Amino acid sequence: MLRFVVRRLLLLIPVLIGLSILVFLWIRALPGSPATTLLGERATPEAIAAINEQYGLNKPLHVQYFAYVENVAQFDFGDSVTSRRPVIDEFGQRFPATIELAFAAMLFSMLIGLPLGFFAAKRYGGVLDQLSLVASLLGISVPIFVLAIILKFVFAVKLGLLPTVGRISVLINIDHPTNFYVLDALLAGDLEAFWDTLKHLILPAIALGSIPLAIVARITRAAVLDVQNEDYVRTARAKGVAPRTVDTRHILRNAMLPIATIIGLQTGLLLSGAVLTETVFAYPGIGTWLVEAIKARNYPVLQGGILFIALVFVLVNLLVDLSYALLNPRIRLS
Amino acid sequence: MSIAELEAREIALEPGQGGLWRDAWRRLRRNPGALIGFTLVGLFVVVALFASVIAPEDPRFGDLSRLGGSCCPGPSFDHWFGVDQQGRDVLSRIVFGARFSLLIGVVSVAVGLSLGLVLGSIAGYMGGIVDGIIMRLTDIMLSIPGLLLAIGIVAMLGPGLFQIMIAVGATQVPIFARLMRGSILAQRENDFVLAARAIGVPRRSILASHILPNAISPVIVQGTLALATAIIDVAGLGFLGLGPQDPSTPEWGTMLTDTTRYLQTAPHLAIIPGVAIIISVLGFNLIGDGLREALDPKLRGRG
Amino acid sequence: MRTKWHWLLPLLVAGVIGLAAGCGGDDDEEGTPSGTTAAETESSGGASGGTLVFAGASDPVVLDGALVSDGESIRVITQVFETLVALKPGTTEPEPGLAESWEPNDDGTVWTFKIRDGVTFHDGETLDAEAVCFNFDRWYNFEGPLQNPGATYYWQVVFGGFATFNKDSGAPEESLYESCEATDATTAVLTLTKPSATFIPALSQQAFSIASPKALQEFKADEGTVDADGIFSPSGTFGTEHPIGTGPFEFVSWTRNDRLVLKRYEDYWGDKAKLDELIVRPIADNAARVQALQTGEIQGYDLVEPQDIATIEADDELQIIDRPAFNVAYVGFNIAKKPTDDPKVREAIAYGLDRESVVDNFYSGRAVVATQFMPPEVVGYADDVPTYEYDPEKAKQTLTDAGYTLPVPLEFWYPTDVSRPYMPDPKRNFEAFAASLNKSGFKVTAKSAPWNPDYLGRANEGTAGNLRMLGWTGDYGDADNFIGTFFQTPQKAWGTTTKPLTEIQKLLNDAEIETEQSARESLYQEANRKIMTELPGVPYAHSKPALAFTAQVKGYVASPTTNESFASVSIEE
Repeated sequence: MLRFVVRRLLLLIPVLIGLSILVFLWIRALPGSPATTLLGERATPEAIAAINEQYGLNKPLHVQYFAYVENVAQFDFGDSVTSRRPVIDEFGQRFPATIELAFAAMLFSMLIGLPLGFFAAKRYGGVLDQLSLVASLLGISVPIFVLAIILKFVFAVKLGLLPTVGRISVLINIDHPTNFYVLDALLAGDLEAFWDTLKHLILPAIALGSIPLAIVARITRAAVLDVQNEDYVRTARAKGVAPRTVDTRHILRNAMLPIATIIGLQTGLLLSGAVLTETVFAYPGIGTWLVEAIKARNYPVLQGGILFIALVFVLVNLLVDLSYALLNPRIRLS
Repeated sequence: MSIAELEAREIALEPGQGGLWRDAWRRLRRNPGALIGFTLVGLFVVVALFASVIAPEDPRFGDLSRLGGSCCPGPSFDHWFGVDQQGRDVLSRIVFGARFSLLIGVVSVAVGLSLGLVLGSIAGYMGGIVDGIIMRLTDIMLSIPGLLLAIGIVAMLGPGLFQIMIAVGATQVPIFARLMRGSILAQRENDFVLAARAIGVPRRSILASHILPNAISPVIVQGTLALATAIIDVAGLGFLGLGPQDPSTPEWGTMLTDTTRYLQTAPHLAIIPGVAIIISVLGFNLIGDGLREALDPKLRGRG
Repeated sequence: MRTKWHWLLPLLVAGVIGLAAGCGGDDDEEGTPSGTTAAETESSGGASGGTLVFAGASDPVVLDGALVSDGESIRVITQVFETLVALKPGTTEPEPGLAESWEPNDDGTVWTFKIRDGVTFHDGETLDAEAVCFNFDRWYNFEGPLQNPGATYYWQVVFGGFATFNKDSGAPEESLYESCEATDATTAVLTLTKPSATFIPALSQQAFSIASPKALQEFKADEGTVDADGIFSPSGTFGTEHPIGTGPFEFVSWTRNDRLVLKRYEDYWGDKAKLDELIVRPIADNAARVQALQTGEIQGYDLVEPQDIATIEADDELQIIDRPAFNVAYVGFNIAKKPTDDPKVREAIAYGLDRESVVDNFYSGRAVVATQFMPPEVVGYADDVPTYEYDPEKAKQTLTDAGYTLPVPLEFWYPTDVSRPYMPDPKRNFEAFAASLNKSGFKVTAKSAPWNPDYLGRANEGTAGNLRMLGWTGDYGDADNFIGTFFQTPQKAWGTTTKPLTEIQKLLNDAEIETEQSARESLYQEANRKIMTELPGVPYAHSKPALAFTAQVKGYVASPTTNESFASVSIEE
């Protein structure tokens, strides 16, 4: 087990090094330059040349790269061009926002998807089953941003039931020790703030959760169908075990294995979807942060942000593999 | 993307056998979902091919006097889908948009597929260091969420139709590469390959005439599903403002994002391209599902 | 998986199409107010003045007037700081600010400012002549990265260079500023190196905000680091946590990307602010701002886009406030690049741009067609400049007469991710212009880039094709701030060789040093006529930007230069 973990962790090293080089080169390949970003509307060619000279932007690439790596090793990711704050601070603010959103989306998709898939399988071929198939088909066929716009238009604009943008109403003032606003509201013991943050999460979470919902429902249905016909289930039934006990103790427990894996594999999908969802709901998470950074040529944010995201992503994948291995004793770790 | 990826991986584990194709086609014809998929996609393709015949107007022709100072007149007898913010006929733009979506979708999948297949076949067949390097490369690409990767590539290459195709295609390279490699690894140990090797058939010829044909069926399923994701991704890029450079290009995602600002006064402008995207994606997903079931040996003889 | 469920699919498809049809049906509701529940979530203002939540498009950069030029920073700085010279609310007319009066010597090189008595900074320090001179000396003595034209743009425009000259900084060598001397507590004497007529109205800009000397020093306003990418970020906390001025509002807190909170300054020297609290919240997306206003999450925002104006006006809970037009939108040409180096081609373009339709249809009746590069309110405006009505046939004729085979190719650039007062939706203007040019014997190749930095970079370097979309909002009410900015010095934006513009440059140079007002006016008028003959570009709109508020907000006076105080604003139930 330990050897497996160590091996997988070692495999991360070339990936991360390769990634940092790619991101570094990619940023240098973008049109425009940091100097024009800095000078903005008032840039003159003389001033641009001066900036490049002054800050070593005309040094050879490898020199710049090693300088960058040296900084990163000291957890110095530079400052954002637009806000002039350390990238790591901004990340600390944005990342919890996206995690909160992704978690809510996952929760939504499981709360609906698991029962839907389970009962669809139990009533194989019935109306509920057909409904689940249609729902999951729609879930993967309706682009997130289309769904998000429709939800926002109907529930926030036309009906005025839910807020349209952001994470919390501006008049509510609570401390943000964790930057997970729902958690912060609970820590502050402020029920109004808690409800407010939840209201801000509902529509984005539904929009973002639509795809995992489709997948969870589908996989659950398939898994339950598979397990239902296994010998041990038939045996249990034959023994006269109560149907409910068979469902929970035998079917669900065994069906959880593929479901758990699938959920882990959704991380990348959620991050991609978050870019679009956050744009529609002006939600200050990682997605909008990186998109704004790309448009504004905010080099330090891009460099740091993409490395962070990739790191999180590969670590989650590693965790999924590990948990899969732990859950399924039949898989040998090698 | 990931459901397709996942299912493709599932199928990849199943070795294909002779008579597969005839069998699959027979079952596909009996699958109403796939038939609806074929109908939708057929409609989509016909509209795309005959856009210039079907569309009542040039999609770029605008007449600001149609606006009457506000935005924007809804459906009418003259303009079935209404008129957009430049005084253009929305129906004509949707019809020509089908052409762009199909073109971008097919080309980007072709880019992703061909590169992915080459890389995957090499990795799977050569093994060793080559395999290691290629797989680490796909790891790196997969460690960046797909849409961000596409955005990054467009940011680097600049906006434009060609660049979008490359960007969306690039996000699919690692998926096809892994799929192909997995498929080939599975085939490599098969009896018929071992047999061919034992009687001294050259490696290249084993790969070409024994392994590839059998490894290809999951790729076809994945390719169909990838068309669906490509259409969504292209529209997503357009939605984020990274669509074709010429803003009069009738691209559905761009049409959608340009008109969200009129959502309050003219919601049809955003909803019509939205529905067009959904219908075309739905079509490819239905076909993909149908193919997956038809080609899945596990399901043979069932139902 | 092969089951009977597929019969549901036709239903599903029908449903999707039905959804489209149903939503299309909503058009009937066009123009009806949709924010029926707008007031429900509205915060109750409270009797004493209440809290106003205003949405900006983004966060301010830093709250130090000397170091910024972006509108979001300036909006907040205007509330917290004041300048020696103020502008009469709603106009571009100078009036006494922190200086009660000013007097030049005979040759206009020594200016004596009488500083207002009894003014205190938010930290309790007293404003005196000494404090004023401390600020001027601070600006004049900026060094290193602070001499960068990006950091101290307005100082360099108005006063030129700094105490120390560094040729790498990009700042000019010569400075208009010589010294500032506090002869007594309320008298500050400013000495210039040469006479200047434009410097008094220019002092009303937020770049010349007077800050507390104690706070500037204590919170290290000038200290900062420069990172590998060349970005200066202050390490002191003056501009982020302790912006101390004399304005009607004082700073409370700033949570980035969330909110910036100001409260009424109780010891303000003039009329105290009516609001208890002013919160500025960044909302990047326009549609999101409209919706936030409708749901009552905010009470106001700036730069309402034209398509939203009708919706807001139709809503009883909301109101539109006009900002006087003080800008110009134009299509600029590169006169060194083929084919726009040919005056005949430029003339044909002028005939081929359907400016009327764009102004009539895209600005909700809030703009007029521009005939020259400055608005009519500014002295030097000429009524008799050459004009060019939209006429595709004439455009084609002009081109064929000049020996061109049609269509003539043009590369035309437009910016993305931006909305400016003078072009709320650049892409929409662009599309219409491109279409009208294509009908006039041209073939337009569309090119786009994000506004900042790519697009502006290209526009400034003259690499934005033949045609580019740009515009300008005046900083202060002088022709120098419009046509002077564009044409007085040769700029790459108009092409690597701006030889055809030499005569215009000469006229503008003469106008700047001319102190006799009517002579100055006719020089500027002559320049305007010349510009519209030479056609380095075609101006097309002066727009009246709009702000939107909930109906309870009263007393908002919008300034043409976009910097207004919220002191007079109140919320009435």
